[in-house]
Amino acid sequence: MELGSGFWGPLIATAAMLLGAAVAGLILVAARRINAPKPSASKLASYGCGEEVKPEEVQIDSEHFYSPIRRAFKPFYRYVQPAHTGVLTHYLVWVLVGLFLIMLAVVIILR
Amino acid sequence: MIIDAAPILAIVLPLFAAFLLPVVSILAKRYKKEHACGLFAVAVCVLILLIVASMLPTVWGGKIIVYRLGNWTPPWGINLAIDSLNLLVALIVSSVCTLVAIYSLIYMRKDSGLEKYYILLVLILASTMGIVLTGDVFNLFVFFEIMSIASYALIAFRRKGDSLEASFKYMIIGSLGTSLILLSIVFAYSVAGSVNIADIGMKLASIKAGSTSTPPIVIVMLGLFITGFGIKIAMVPLHAWAPDVYQAAPSSISALLSGATTIAGVYAMIRVVYMMFGAFGVGAMFAVFGLVTMVLGAFMALVQNDLKRLLAYSGISQMGYILLGIGIGTANGIQGGLFHLLNYAIFEAMLFMCAGAIAYRVGTTKLNELGGLGRSMPVTATIFTVGALAISGVPPFNGFASKWMIYVAGVQAGQPIFTVIAVLMSALTLAYFLKVVSTIFLGPRPKDSPKVEEAPMVMLFPMFLLVVFCVLFGILPQLGIDLVQPAQQAIAANQAYIGTVLG
Repeated sequence: MELGSGFWGPLIATAAMLLGAAVAGLILVAARRINAPKPSASKLASYGCGEEVKPEEVQIDSEHFYSPIRRAFKPFYRYVQPAHTGVLTHYLVWVLVGLFLIMLAVVIILR
Repeated sequence: MIIDAAPILAIVLPLFAAFLLPVVSILAKRYKKEHACGLFAVAVCVLILLIVASMLPTVWGGKIIVYRLGNWTPPWGINLAIDSLNLLVALIVSSVCTLVAIYSLIYMRKDSGLEKYYILLVLILASTMGIVLTGDVFNLFVFFEIMSIASYALIAFRRKGDSLEASFKYMIIGSLGTSLILLSIVFAYSVAGSVNIADIGMKLASIKAGSTSTPPIVIVMLGLFITGFGIKIAMVPLHAWAPDVYQAAPSSISALLSGATTIAGVYAMIRVVYMMFGAFGVGAMFAVFGLVTMVLGAFMALVQNDLKRLLAYSGISQMGYILLGIGIGTANGIQGGLFHLLNYAIFEAMLFMCAGAIAYRVGTTKLNELGGLGRSMPVTATIFTVGALAISGVPPFNGFASKWMIYVAGVQAGQPIFTVIAVLMSALTLAYFLKVVSTIFLGPRPKDSPKVEEAPMVMLFPMFLLVVFCVLFGILPQLGIDLVQPAQQAIAANQAYIGTVLG
């Protein structure tokens, strides 16, 4: 597959990726055998901030999974996200804004 | 003889089948055949897929099929005109409809009133075929309305509060969109004196050739058409309805909306803007709106906590890539955009089917209530992960091949910033899909969660077929490019379309 000045050989790339995955898998298995995780009570206590919770009780809040990105793009999440209100009249305003922007763009391009 | 009538059969047969389904339902109840309506719908979809496929050799041979109803010569009367562009879209739509019908056999079996569900599903097939195959812009509008009304009813099929509300919102906004399209058709008729796409195209070209600047009425018509179709494809800022609808609709219908009706909307946009108006200059606007759509969709998807809502925003973001590719306007860009359109139908339909499988077994799509499903639903987990990697543009899957074409087209068109933004948004897509895979399939099951099993085979089958195409078009992208190349050439050969239709 040639695209412009670049080249992408999908079959070669796939074979290389599968090989890489196999090697990574082998390293992982070997590492687990050589250096098996040994959780001690003190380790568990310090990593869990002194609180011991069972695995099934641990749940990641999916909404705050990438909270650093939310912080980095604060203006977007402060102004654009709340504009998705679910209120029909607000959605109709969005459509009117869209109609205006499209008309403006077509006028600029074609006139 | 059958091949000659293939264009009209592709529309009329599902329409006839939709009216026949109540009879099938009565017979099914009498003879206690639970799946009769569903199987009948599947048979109709397969038949339409075969009819569409029967036109491939002729159209890929470089011929444009023109079917004249009542033997009226265009621009008079109604005609169907099939070139490589609409045949590609018809192939995608009929394939997705077939897979959704198969999926629905089990997914919808707990619901009542299934004959109505299948009637509406077959009506969507008939209407999308009508949109795609017609050579007449008023018929396009009529079929658009049929498709939209059937969609509103299907979204509200389960009659829950959120689905009724979403359907109502979509109905209001969708009706506004189709009203804008109708208004534009009225203007087109006043200018060209006909509603034939080729005839309007020819007359608009002569109007533009005869004046130094584009007449205001043409600008208004174009703006109204783009807004109307923009609503259907959820182009930002006309997208607001989409997350509510995709979240509230049954997952099979979410798959159908993303894999069939949205595709028909993109087709209508290309046919009208590029081929009827010949307004390739508007591509710059598509590219800019595409970038905004891509960015907003990705950032919104990142913070969702419902799988289907996340997939809806992800779909909006992917629509941005399609608009960007088509908007760049070079051969590579349009091919990339069309290839991504094909891939979009594959992975979006597949991911919504996976979401449906999860909802079918667990009863929720809330990310915070899911976890550890990889062990109990390994096939669904594998298919979803492949779909997630494909939609994120990770090699060697199909999304990479089509996105790569769009990236290259951006650089070749002298707009590397387009490519940079597109690559960054792909990284963001991968980020939020990794979150989804991790939250749903890895880790322990949440406390007090019931034991779940793998999705039924009948539901897995269409998902498996789609995942095969994800891998196939990724490892052998030339197959996909060979499919979309004739469609791109058809867009470029606009005059050939006009000449052939008008004879």
